[in-house]
Amino acid sequence: MSNPQNKPSASNWFRWFDPRRRDVGTYAFILNRITALGLTLYLFLHLIVLGQLAKGPEGYDSFLKLIDNPLFLFGELLVIAAVLIHGLNGIRIALTSFGIGVSTQKQLFYATMVVAILGSLVFAVRMMIG
Amino acid sequence: MAEITSKQSSNEAGWLWLLKIVTGLLIVVILVIHLIVNHMLGTEGGLLTYADVIAYYQNPIIPIMEAIFLICVIPHCLIGLRGIFIDLNPSPKTLNGISWLLTGLGAAFIVYGIWLLLAIVAQG
Repeated sequence: MSNPQNKPSASNWFRWFDPRRRDVGTYAFILNRITALGLTLYLFLHLIVLGQLAKGPEGYDSFLKLIDNPLFLFGELLVIAAVLIHGLNGIRIALTSFGIGVSTQKQLFYATMVVAILGSLVFAVRMMIG
Repeated sequence: MAEITSKQSSNEAGWLWLLKIVTGLLIVVILVIHLIVNHMLGTEGGLLTYADVIAYYQNPIIPIMEAIFLICVIPHCLIGLRGIFIDLNPSPKTLNGISWLLTGLGAAFIVYGIWLLLAIVAQG
């Protein structure tokens, strides 16, 4: 590696999160990792909460009542946005891993983010109407 | 200009990278089905009622699909977490410990998830 600061170490670990003076590819990396951490949290909460389903309808119905408010709805929107960003960017990573679209990967990244933003807006509108 | 750490410099084995790509693509396909069914076909504001969930799981394709989803998403997630730990530049011994810890956690959640799927099917 040309830049010694990029050598992995505990002391500069948070550099991955630092958005200053970055190339677009690094923004993709930062976004991918933030959404990954958010989705990891969601996945394990989701699996634990769904344990209610094994206990019968009472626990499940009371959970549905608990999450029926704007705060949880906003949280769900964040999950949808994270899924779209991480999933679409992930498809780009998969393609470039197999040598497809390497020369246009910046444009591909911009395109995936436009789709992710539009998709999130569609869900936001749906949530506000519903 | 900051560089993106490549698979060569991140010490993540190539086969783990490939596993993350393959599970990632399977997750995309299954997640689309999972989200459409759970949030667009329901009767209660998009969410399925308890009875709907139980009825939905009586079709054997569904618990099988959800089990495949579980078996893809847990390793995908934990390989990713391991990649973040690698950025802390752990010693090979520490990384080995982290790998075993994550493997144990993943195995426990896969067993729990499959138990949960069977428990849901059994309610029908």
